[in-house]
Amino acid sequence: MMRYLILGIGLVLFFMEPVFGLFSPLKLGGEYYYIVPRFLIMFLIFVSVYFDTKHAMYYGLFFGLLYDVFFIDIIGLYSFLYPAICVVAGYTVKTVQRNLFVATLLTLVLTALFEFVLYQFFTLISLTDVPAGTFLATRLWPTMIANSLFLFVLGWAFKSVIVGRLIEREKNPSVY
Amino acid sequence: MFHFFSNKRLILLLLGVILLVALISFSLRDRDNVSLPEQLIKDGVGAGQMVFSGPAHFVTGIFDNVDSLLNTYQENKYLKSRLEEFAGVQAEVTDLRSENSELKALVGKEADMRDYNPIQATVIARNPDQWEEKVIINKGSSSGVLENMAVMTAQGLIGKVTLTTPFTSTVELISTQDPNYRVSAMVIGGKKDVFGLIEGYDSERRELLLKRIDADIDIKKGQQVVSSGLGGIFPKGIIIGEITEVAIDEFGLTKLAYIKPAAEFSLLNHVVIADRVMPEVDGEDNGETAEEEAP
Repeated sequence: MMRYLILGIGLVLFFMEPVFGLFSPLKLGGEYYYIVPRFLIMFLIFVSVYFDTKHAMYYGLFFGLLYDVFFIDIIGLYSFLYPAICVVAGYTVKTVQRNLFVATLLTLVLTALFEFVLYQFFTLISLTDVPAGTFLATRLWPTMIANSLFLFVLGWAFKSVIVGRLIEREKNPSVY
Repeated sequence: MFHFFSNKRLILLLLGVILLVALISFSLRDRDNVSLPEQLIKDGVGAGQMVFSGPAHFVTGIFDNVDSLLNTYQENKYLKSRLEEFAGVQAEVTDLRSENSELKALVGKEADMRDYNPIQATVIARNPDQWEEKVIINKGSSSGVLENMAVMTAQGLIGKVTLTTPFTSTVELISTQDPNYRVSAMVIGGKKDVFGLIEGYDSERRELLLKRIDADIDIKKGQQVVSSGLGGIFPKGIIIGEITEVAIDEFGLTKLAYIKPAAEFSLLNHVVIADRVMPEVDGEDNGETAEEEAP
C-alpha cells in the first residue's frame, strides 16, 4: 500500500492543478495576472532530490504524457520537460548539501526555468506573442510567488513522506 | 558530470531528441480526429478530473452565494426600479413573438438559423499552463457534441469545440491567438446588419478583432456584435460583444473593429453547447475555408 504513496500524491497534485487553474487569470487593479499551478513538477523535483532520480524520471514521463494528451495536444512537450527537469535536479543535488532549504531553493529555480522554457517554446511555434517583459511581470512573478507559498506550506510534508518511503525501501530492498 | 555523456547515453539522448521532434511535429499538424489511445487517455483523465472539479465548483459556489448575499440590498433596489419597465417589455415580447410565428407560418418558413438545441455541460478543467486558451468540458460525442459547435455562457459566446472524445470535449476560447480561428459575425443596431469575421485577439487590450468590414459601411462604437450563422455551424444571434473602437486595417481597404467580449473567460463553470437545428455546412466557422471565400 505504502509503495504507491508517491504515485498517489502525484496523481492528486496532477488533478489539483487544473482545478486551481480555473481561478486564473486573477484581476487585480485592472491588471490581469496569470498564476500557473506547478505542484506536480515541484513534487517530482523533491522526489528526485530525496528519493531517486530514476523513479522521478519515470513518474515525470508518465504524468508528462497524460498532461500532453489531455491538455495541450502536443505530445512530447511535457513528457520531455518533466523528466529533463528531474535529471537536472538529480545532478545538481549531488554537488550541494541536501537540506530542506537547498531543496526548496533548487525547486523554485528549476520551476522558473521550466516556465521560461515553455514560454520560449510557445513563442517559437507562435502560439503566443507576449513580449518578454510582459511575460515576466504578469506570468512568471505571480506564478513563482503562488507556487513558493505552496512549497513553503507543503515542502516539509513532501520531504517527510519521501524520506519515509526511502527508509522503508532501505529496510527491505528485496521488493525493488 | 562528464561521464554522463558516454557513447551509449549520447546515442540514446540523440535518438530521444529525434523522437521528440517527430512526435511534436506530428501532433502540431492539424489533426481532424483523435487516435484511439489518446481518446482512452482523455476519457480516463477526464473521469478522474470530474471527481476533483466537483468539490471545487461546490466551494466556489458557496463563495459566490456569500458574495451575492452581501450585495442583496443594492441589487434589490436596482431590480425594483427595473421591474416596472419589465412588465411592459414582457408584453411587447409576447406580442412580437406571436406576430413573428404568424408571419413565419404565412411565408412557410420552418427552420430558422437562430434555433438550436442546447447541450448543458460543466467545465472540468482549464489547461493549467494557460498558454493555449482551452477548457475541457464533461460532455462528448456520446451526448451529441460535434467539432466546431459554438460554446457559450449566459453572457455570450466563449468559444467552440475543437476536439471530442466520447465523454469529454476540448473547447478553444475565442481569446485564442490561433490564426485559423474564425467566427462569422455581424454588427447589429445600425440601419442594416453589417457582416464581418472575428479573427484574432488583442491580448494587451483583451479585445477581439472584427475584420473584413466594407470600408464604406458606417459602424459606431457601442454597437453590438452577434454571430451571423453564415459561417455554417454556429446558430445566428449569439451575443459576442460590443464595439469599442473602429479603425482601418493595415492595407487601408477594409475596416477593423475592436470588440469587448460580453462573456467573462475566467472562472468558467456551466456552459451551453449550441447544436444548430438547421443543417450544418462547411464555412468559416470550421476554419478551413480559403481566404478568398470570405465576404
